Amino acid sequence: MKRRRLLQELLAGAAVVSAGVLPYGIAILLAPSGPARTHGSHLRPPGALKDDDAFVSACIGCSLCGEVCPPRCIKFHARDGGGAVNTPYIDPTDKACILCDKCMQACPTEALTVARRDEVDMGYADIDETACYPWVDRGICGACVAICPLGERAISFDFANVYRPVVQSGCVGCGMCVEICPHPSKPIWIVERPEDAERPPVRG
Amino acid sequence: MQTGGPFFLWRHLNKLRWAFLSIVFAMLVALPFLHLYQTYVSAHAYDLLAESEQRLYDVVETLTDPFVDDPVEDLDAIKGNTWSGTFWGLQLSDPLAAAGQSAAGRTLYWPFLLTALIPVVLSMVFGRFYCGWVCPATFLYELNSNFAGWLRWAGLKPGNRTFDKRLKYGVLVLGLVLSAASGSILVATIYPPAIIGREIYYAVALGGFGGGAVFFIGTLLFDLMVARRGFCRYLCPGGALYSLLGRYRVVRIRRIVETCNDCAKCNAICEFGLDPLRDGFGQECNNCTACMAICPTAALTFTLRITDYPEQGPGHLGRQYRREYAQQDMEAAE
Repeated sequence: MKRRRLLQELLAGAAVVSAGVLPYGIAILLAPSGPARTHGSHLRPPGALKDDDAFVSACIGCSLCGEVCPPRCIKFHARDGGGAVNTPYIDPTDKACILCDKCMQACPTEALTVARRDEVDMGYADIDETACYPWVDRGICGACVAICPLGERAISFDFANVYRPVVQSGCVGCGMCVEICPHPSKPIWIVERPEDAERPPVRG
Repeated sequence: MQTGGPFFLWRHLNKLRWAFLSIVFAMLVALPFLHLYQTYVSAHAYDLLAESEQRLYDVVETLTDPFVDDPVEDLDAIKGNTWSGTFWGLQLSDPLAAAGQSAAGRTLYWPFLLTALIPVVLSMVFGRFYCGWVCPATFLYELNSNFAGWLRWAGLKPGNRTFDKRLKYGVLVLGLVLSAASGSILVATIYPPAIIGREIYYAVALGGFGGGAVFFIGTLLFDLMVARRGFCRYLCPGGALYSLLGRYRVVRIRRIVETCNDCAKCNAICEFGLDPLRDGFGQECNNCTACMAICPTAALTFTLRITDYPEQGPGHLGRQYRREYAQQDMEAAE
């Protein structure tokens, strides 16, 4: 008799717990985790925590960063992302960050913290010298150098040929160059910041 | 202490509440449009817009012109939604956001927790007032409830099951535990006001609803087919948190037993399935004041107490009281 009572209580407890877990299960099912984030087309906004797991646990998904973004470059994992659902990302092939720092000031949590524009770390531009038009002598371009909001300390022309772009150590990976690049395969691309890319000394 | 009944405006508070809910909801719809407007103004791209969009922006400019110097900057005064937003520099967040974020990150980040301070203090005074007066999902859920009333009038049977109201505390605790275990704020994915706020933004500014909209429609169907206001009553983790914060709330609704006539309209109108007729308000009451508005004898009023009145028995204008206690009253009067 006692055992039956215990069994009933356990069953009732299990039913209550599963009823409580059910909505979370449904919510996660509605946002399946898609293919792994490819760095470069899914950048975190500027000032984001470096560790992406820490970023996901700090971001409350309020979409404030997107609402204040002047170029409207911040998108959200709305229908995908699994546990990272509703977190922001920037796809520079579509619209790139202009480093205006409004999102960092709007973020209520530590997910985005205010950083100086030359201390932002979204990544590092990488140029494919086998595709970039000036590098393969298919004309002159220089769009990436012209658009860069940080100027010479982030990207400049090669010493030998004024139209061949070379990324400098001051690059913060905002992706403006990726957005502007006219080549269909985007030979300039944002990658993880290499270890040896030291930042230039901050000027006044 | 008995006076001439409750303050006469209190039975009109329900209309004020609907005004509040409508304003909050309208703001949530308007803010993404303002954001689009700001984008084009700051990009000086007005000439590139379609003619209909230009007309919309002319209207926005005319409406906002008296209030702002610089439309690009000054329209930033109100941003965000009820989950977290800025209000003329004052950053406010939902207490559930603070709880969920602390659980998921397993840290206490004070600048963020402090933004939830004002809502927490207000909840400790007014209980679940957020659920009745602010929550943008309540706006839709109550319209859904009215729709269920029409269905009933048309002869259909909306679901009217009841469950244990304590289930939502389980949902809250499980959500925080799962958030801490998974490192992502899972309570945000099932919390209707957070869903509404960001889904409206996604739909207006980013070209499409996300998965949360599907979940929200699911909760509407749950309310319609299984239990009246079922999600708010039995499942909402935010409602659970607000109920806990309002456990010893100071402002409560009280039945004036001398003018109550036991008509039970208050019990029928109560969206949260409470029992005002037998003084059962408790921590669940969201101060929606629908019971005050419908009470034919104005027998409900506000009071300042940290616990409910103990049950006061049948109303003195009711049939039962007249039958059972008239004799005793006469004896007491002699």
